[in-house]
Amino acid sequence: MTRPRAGQLVRPVAITAIVVWSLAPIVLGVLTSLSTQADVQAVPPHWLPDHATLDPYRWLLGGSGDIRAGGTVSETGAFAQAMWNSASMTLIATLAILCVSISAGYAFARLRFPGRDTLFWVIVATAVVPIFTIVIALFRLLAGAGLIDRTLGLVLVFVSTTTPLALWLVHNHVKELPPEPEEAALIDGCTRWQAFWHVVLPQMRSGIAALSALVVLSVWGEFLIPLLLTSTSASKPVAVLIPEYVGKYTTHYPLLAAAGMLALLPPAIVALVLNRHIRGMLSGSS
Amino acid sequence: MGSDIGQDNVRPGGASQGRTSRVDLAAREATRLGMLMVTPAVIVTAALVIYPLIAGFLTSLESGDPAIGEQPRFVGLGNYGEVLSSSTVREAIVHTLIYVVLAVTLELTFGLIIAVALHRAFAGRGIVLAILVLPWALPSVVSGVLWRRVFDPDSGLLNGVLVQLHLVSHPQVWLASRGWVLVFITLVHVWGVLPLVSLILIAGLQSIPEDVYSASAVDGATPWRQFRHITLPLLRPSIAVALTVGTVWAIKIFDEIYVLNGTALNSRSILMELYTTTFVNADFAHGTALAFLLAGVTVLLAAGYALSFGRSRT
Amino acid sequence: MDRPDAASTNGIVLECVRKEFPGGVVAVRDISLEVHPGELVVLVGPSGCGKTTTLRMVAGLEAVTAGEVRIAGRLVTSLPPRHRNVAMVFQNYALYAHMSVRANIGFGLKMAGMPKREIRARVDQAADILGITTLLDRKPRQLSGGQRQRVAMGRAIVREPAAFLMDEPLSNLDAKLRLEMRAEIITIHRRIGAPTLYVTHDQTEAMTMGDRVAILRDGALEQIGTPLELYEQPANVFVAGFIGSPAMNLLSATLDNSGDDWFAHVGDSRLVIPPKARAAVRPLAGHDVILGLRPEDFVSGEHLRASEHGIIYATVTRTESLGSELLVYLSMNDITASQPLVARLDRRITMQRDTPIPIGVDLERLYFFDPKNGTALS
Repeated sequence: MTRPRAGQLVRPVAITAIVVWSLAPIVLGVLTSLSTQADVQAVPPHWLPDHATLDPYRWLLGGSGDIRAGGTVSETGAFAQAMWNSASMTLIATLAILCVSISAGYAFARLRFPGRDTLFWVIVATAVVPIFTIVIALFRLLAGAGLIDRTLGLVLVFVSTTTPLALWLVHNHVKELPPEPEEAALIDGCTRWQAFWHVVLPQMRSGIAALSALVVLSVWGEFLIPLLLTSTSASKPVAVLIPEYVGKYTTHYPLLAAAGMLALLPPAIVALVLNRHIRGMLSGSS
Repeated sequence: MGSDIGQDNVRPGGASQGRTSRVDLAAREATRLGMLMVTPAVIVTAALVIYPLIAGFLTSLESGDPAIGEQPRFVGLGNYGEVLSSSTVREAIVHTLIYVVLAVTLELTFGLIIAVALHRAFAGRGIVLAILVLPWALPSVVSGVLWRRVFDPDSGLLNGVLVQLHLVSHPQVWLASRGWVLVFITLVHVWGVLPLVSLILIAGLQSIPEDVYSASAVDGATPWRQFRHITLPLLRPSIAVALTVGTVWAIKIFDEIYVLNGTALNSRSILMELYTTTFVNADFAHGTALAFLLAGVTVLLAAGYALSFGRSRT
Repeated sequence: MDRPDAASTNGIVLECVRKEFPGGVVAVRDISLEVHPGELVVLVGPSGCGKTTTLRMVAGLEAVTAGEVRIAGRLVTSLPPRHRNVAMVFQNYALYAHMSVRANIGFGLKMAGMPKREIRARVDQAADILGITTLLDRKPRQLSGGQRQRVAMGRAIVREPAAFLMDEPLSNLDAKLRLEMRAEIITIHRRIGAPTLYVTHDQTEAMTMGDRVAILRDGALEQIGTPLELYEQPANVFVAGFIGSPAMNLLSATLDNSGDDWFAHVGDSRLVIPPKARAAVRPLAGHDVILGLRPEDFVSGEHLRASEHGIIYATVTRTESLGSELLVYLSMNDITASQPLVARLDRRITMQRDTPIPIGVDLERLYFFDPKNGTALS
């Protein structure tokens, strides 16, 4: 007990390594975004910018005309538009997924109706259907409905691909909640819907927070689906726009990094704020 | 029991004494509300998952390019055979296997180390856990472009460091090499997935009661033996979940490849091959065949894990 | 039941109520009972006996497979809980965690559409009765177990329901608080006067709280009666063994008679059966019966009179002092009882251990049961 064990010395080192490993690319991104193209292209490389500048951010968010730097071209306002597209897509998709999966997850867990168990397992089983098996048929379906390159089309696809897993998580969460408060509410004069609304929903707060975080992170960062289903800046999210800044021969890294840092901001805030709830949900999953 | 409130309305004819026609209003209310509340999920799943799945599968059994006016023709599993005999597909399969094995090995090894290091309380644990989650929040596309600057052949940081340390004589084009490109792409992928794997394992460690350790410490077990004989076996369910998540994410690796190396042949995964076939070459029939092959492999692997770890799962 | 007087229609009435779960498990077998206004009836029995299921059927939380439930003269069998006008206190209190104590207690009134001012007044009044006025702005997680219990009670009484249902309301409290709340629930019950059905697994709680006690086993009603009736005239071996602490000793005995004198042979001891019990045991002459002896009906030392008490010879194996009295564990020769005999004796008696000694039995208080079906012979 008195002699420090090897493990006690290893741990601080391991923790430091974890912090460095997790933060390094983000720190690098911040530094790059504050650099000039000259700093980035210097040999040997400059880790710290010689003259820190906010120009890349100004180019992205301001209306200072076309950016023509090192082969990277961007329309005026395209980045701000993409951020807006990402935000509205994420917000609408998350709300829709939450509504659909909370309502169905609760019903499957607490209400009895004919065919309930079969229906539940059929829907949950579709969670293992990989998006790439259905994306072609979805593409045709959405094209027929005129929903290609529309935020609504993207939202529909996110709802369909995320609902099975979200519904399963909600179902498990509701099963773990004590049923007595809902029963007490029914005796206190509630209809089933009122008991759900006034009592069960507030009981689920932490689970809903965690689920929202998971959905926001996955929708905001999703690349393949919007890559296939969007074509113009009208609906293109930031995750699809950023790779377009990669030049064929040279790349304007400060611009790219600044775009990346701006795209990191919203999901990072969600992850940090809801961090505790995310961990709570994961401990319920295994 | 207890969660289906007032609804087990079993009414065997004999016992109900002629009251079989009685309508249980509580049960009827639950039935109506239940069906109403699942309707959106049912519609969405049927229209946007099950229908496209069936339509997609049918496409994979047909041949003919509608773009040039050919009528679709049923060819059975012909597309599957052609896909499997293509050399680029075979290479993509090998690449994908390398991605999966490498990624899952790294994720589980480092995930366990991180979990063991972080699962017990220490000052600042909350902050470290918050930092740990950050890479997960970073869209994989963004992390890809950040890592580009590291691997850039002209002014990349990796080359810079290696040249300065005289480990290489001149800058390397890392992403054009055959072996290194897979390693580096895997590294970028692991960077993004490791948080989730670690959190799953931390949650698993926290579900192991502390007195198990106290008991074995009294028995004189060393930390390593404790880990080997107590932690690992009790962590089996969480490891199974982490393994499944790691595999499923690695098998559909795409974003990192797209951003770091585009559709280049030396780093193509199956999904990238699928993307080029379908959306670059507009060959829907072979694309869908590839999709169902990949889906089949994914489901088989997941089922394999579930079976081999199944005995210890609840 | 068979008393259609005006008062009985205002209570809780169960007519042949049956519960079968999917898969054919019968949880409750055709139970009929009635709780009169102002009465507190306790449902008691071992776990899995169907007492909670019965209560939940009255509440409407569990569908009734067959039979009828009436509350305050109204047929409620197929009505949802909200239309039954009942209040229920749950074992784990089932408070609404996100609401303040005030909102918890007033929730039912709010759902009934009562004006805010009136809700306030009634919540204040209920809180006053329960002594939780200072807690009204707290959240449930800021309360102790006893305080939560009071909030749960408050939520029930504020609605002035036609019937009260309580599901093991005290089992999550520590022993001291449980005694306190027992008394308090009885006081509140007297004050409110609504018919109350109370579920517990604790026979002491049942005996001290119930105006009448219903004993359930395997979904069937074994006996219902006042605590004294159950103690004095248990209908069968199960009730006899369930009521009383420690439980009644049950021994196998053989009956014989010489003329009008009837005897029960227990091991090598012989007990004279008093005249009033003879008629009951007569049909089983020469057969084995189950003989019941309550621990408190043993006598020893100076109280022992050879003329009035039967004598058995037994060896003391162990004694436990409860302070006010002494529990003596006895073993008898030639008796293979599953459990040792227990006698509850005067605390001042000193017992000699490990040699057979004579112990007196109050012959007026012998119980006889038919070994075939366990029913009492009387």
